[in-house]
Amino acid sequence: MSALSLSALPWLVAAWLFAVGLYGIVTSRHCVHLVGCLTVCQSATYVLLLGIGYVRGAGPPIFYDHPPGTPAVDPVVQALVLTDIVVGAAVSALLLAIAIQVQKRRGTLDPQALRPLRPPPSSLE
Amino acid sequence: MTPDALLPVAVLLPLGVATLLLALAHWLPPRLPKVVAILTALAVCGLCAFLARHSLDGPVRHWFAGWTPDATHRPGIVLGIGFQADPASAALAAFCGLLFTASFVFAWGYFDTEHAHFHVLMLLFLAAMVGFCLTRDLFNLFVWFELMSVAAFALTAYPLGRSALEGAFTFTITNALASFLMLAATGLLYARTGTFDFAAMGQAVARTGSDPVLTGGFVLVASALLTKAAILPFHLWLADAHAVAPSPVSVIFSGAMVSLALFGLAKLVAQVFSGDPQVMALVRGLLLWLGLATALVAGLTAFAQRHLKRLLAFSTIAHLGIMLTALAAGTGTATAGLLLYVVGHGLVKGALFMVAGMLLALRQSADEIVLYGQGRGLWAPALAMGVGGLMLGGLPLGLMHGATHWMDVSAAAPAKAVVTLASALTGAAVLRAAARIFLGASGVPGPELLAPTEREREKADRPLWLMAAPALALVVLALAPSKAVMPFLGAAAARLRDPSLPPLTLPEAGFGHLTPLGLTLALLGLALLRRRAVRGVSRGIILVERRSFGALQALHSGLVGDYVTWMAVGLALFALACAGQAAG
Repeated sequence: MSALSLSALPWLVAAWLFAVGLYGIVTSRHCVHLVGCLTVCQSATYVLLLGIGYVRGAGPPIFYDHPPGTPAVDPVVQALVLTDIVVGAAVSALLLAIAIQVQKRRGTLDPQALRPLRPPPSSLE
Repeated sequence: MTPDALLPVAVLLPLGVATLLLALAHWLPPRLPKVVAILTALAVCGLCAFLARHSLDGPVRHWFAGWTPDATHRPGIVLGIGFQADPASAALAAFCGLLFTASFVFAWGYFDTEHAHFHVLMLLFLAAMVGFCLTRDLFNLFVWFELMSVAAFALTAYPLGRSALEGAFTFTITNALASFLMLAATGLLYARTGTFDFAAMGQAVARTGSDPVLTGGFVLVASALLTKAAILPFHLWLADAHAVAPSPVSVIFSGAMVSLALFGLAKLVAQVFSGDPQVMALVRGLLLWLGLATALVAGLTAFAQRHLKRLLAFSTIAHLGIMLTALAAGTGTATAGLLLYVVGHGLVKGALFMVAGMLLALRQSADEIVLYGQGRGLWAPALAMGVGGLMLGGLPLGLMHGATHWMDVSAAAPAKAVVTLASALTGAAVLRAAARIFLGASGVPGPELLAPTEREREKADRPLWLMAAPALALVVLALAPSKAVMPFLGAAAARLRDPSLPPLTLPEAGFGHLTPLGLTLALLGLALLRRRAVRGVSRGIILVERRSFGALQALHSGLVGDYVTWMAVGLALFALACAGQAAG
């Protein structure tokens, strides 16, 4: 594999993951499955970010036993990923909590059956 | 204390108070959190107004932990995270504080808050909005964007009713996707510019010029912010979320949250992307078209609603479209108009959502057909709704009038016509509902009869004056003459782009012409004088009208899968526009 195609690989993987996640969300028939698909979309951004920060042949950005100045991958994007994992966990937890309440009140978790407002009752027409 | 030391306090104060309230909620008397929340929002408003006043003499900056750009001893490398108050950002943060104060007063006694959770979430929401206004770091902007979203998700689901839960679910999925897009954009822009600081990014972009990765980053960050700002075709979540959220929360959603996203985009375009010709061509082309399409489609849909909160939600979308056209124009005068429009529209829409909340509390419905004639005697909400509707429809008075004048100055005639029609449609829709509810005037219902609705109520045991006072106060503020803020706006619009620019001199907004108001009243008359169709031709017209509005309603299906599909279509639209540019 040539160097060019190798450097394009993380971008392609990220785009693929995002597309697969979107497809899952659009076609999902169960809210919990849908939340899982959302997490797949989220992982796409992680792959993209880590791909951006990657430096060929460099070590981890820890200078405890290396002299400063040794080639290292970019620690900034890793910090971004870490921050977003935390936020992502909060969002998933909130969504799952909402899903539990939906199940209690509607007795179904099929997103195709959930509509916030309904058409007016026909008696009013 | 110097103003730059006060800058982080504007965010830390609501965050700290929220944490304390959450920790102490079990021991505090139930009324105390409400009082504390009102006082905190007022303090944030005052503090940000003070910062706005100070930033007229030059931007107020604060670098956290002392990591100034000089601290790294390498020019062009900014490691620290900075806050910066320019007049526009600080004034909008102050406006958020004001709207939260009004909403807290309106919500007095609304929630049986044993543990003050509502107030804690609202204060977190406020902190996120203030941080979003004041930051000058892209990743920090993303973090505030996320905090704002998470607080908003929880507040939408707060009543735990069926509709609220389903609306919150859709809202969470679409907006979480938007924040992923924004994170990816942050990464892409960092890959090309090597920094997150707006000013340093702007310099780097001006050096590199057009670049596919930069354009990609812009497309992703614009899609994320346009999802938050509910621009076609990313807008579908808004009507559901605004319609089902508790009224005091809808006030904030429509009044501040969505337009703040648009302000964030305007700031990014002005400070980061202005040196990239390819991105600027996208802004002037695609964003203008999207704004016009949004205004027209949402204006028509708003006119065909019967549930008051849903009607107001679509009207918000239409006005966001109008604001986007000003953003796309990008001149200094249009930016001044945009800033004032955000405030004027926020005040009006906040008051109107409060009226909807009052009707839900006092008359147990927000459906204009169910409520027919039920509002007689409620003069305070009637006054707020009537004046609010007139202002949306182009009353030649007040902040929105001045804003429209400045936004219009550079616009082309067809764009002006679309904007006028859209605002007349929303104004007429609000006035029609007001006439039905408060005066008992009505023609035969048109396409609004088929719109979705809901039977619900909100907690009633609050005195009317307590709910009406903040609504009327917001309306009175929105009626303030735009001349009073002209010098401030001139400075704010210029310094949003570059802190060293001299203030703009804005053309005076005169009385203007009466076409928009006339159009609004004509549409209102049309709706109220409508009679049952008997003859062949008119029956045909009614049938066509019903079919076309039915198609519009069907588009807003409420299904999360459909909404996400439309988001993907929006992304594809951006990609097509980029490809079209590259080709010719």
